[in-house]
Amino acid sequence: MIWKIFLFLLISFVSVAGIAFPIVENPQAWYEFPNIPGLEENAKIIFFHVPTAWLTLIAFLMSTVFSFKYLRNKNLDDDAKAYASAQLGMIFCILATVTGAVWAKFAWGAFWSWDPRQTSIFALLLIYGALFALRSSIESEEKRATLSSVYSMIAFVTVPFFIFIMPRIMKGLHPGSADDTGAGPVINFQMNPSMLLIFILSLIGFTILYLWMWQVSYKSIIFRDKLYKHLIRG
Amino acid sequence: MESFLSNNAIYIVMIIVLIVWGGIFSYLLSLDKRIKNVEAEIKNGVENEE
Repeated sequence: MIWKIFLFLLISFVSVAGIAFPIVENPQAWYEFPNIPGLEENAKIIFFHVPTAWLTLIAFLMSTVFSFKYLRNKNLDDDAKAYASAQLGMIFCILATVTGAVWAKFAWGAFWSWDPRQTSIFALLLIYGALFALRSSIESEEKRATLSSVYSMIAFVTVPFFIFIMPRIMKGLHPGSADDTGAGPVINFQMNPSMLLIFILSLIGFTILYLWMWQVSYKSIIFRDKLYKHLIRG
Repeated sequence: MESFLSNNAIYIVMIIVLIVWGGIFSYLLSLDKRIKNVEAEIKNGVENEE
């Protein structure tokens, strides 16, 4: 219970700080953010958009870890964990895409411009979308679990390329692209300490939120499957 | 509307927070639906045993 209260307070603080703390030219007080030329208030998206992308990565990683575990010991509970995590990864992937597109309308001029970052997240959506199509097309429980575990592991191999490599070696608009002069706040952490602190708190808060959502989700799947088996046998 | 938003970028941040909240909320709805189904199953199972 303690950590749930902690999570509530943390996310509340991050939301208030992320929206309300002022952006000034020369930050003096601990609650003032530096002005990033060309972005101004737009820069505050970093507290809400980056955590969704971060959770996409974490969720797909956990999905792969538990897929691997399932293949090793054939325990269907692990498959439920992998599936619940992939579902969450998909939700946060969509959120990262949509929030990025809304922001891009006002920072870059268009919702969608096939920037390398946008292209790679679109490919990621397609790859993981296929996982759910695969799952819903197989009736047998064991077969579905095995096939989707193998698919999930192969799919995760592409994730580092799409999230870390491709958007960095190609020229683009997103901070961290190959032609980014270092003005971007993300890669070099040119944020001031207070901005960095809120950013890290935001990442921690969203990670705890993910762990909680994941736990409730896989518990409900495991419980449902056990109940069905009990009913069929009973 | 568009010029208002580009002059007051803080509202874009607000829209983005709302989108994230909407996504989490819709996930909770689907989770709630799944748990309700389990609940109904348990109720049916108990009635059948009686």
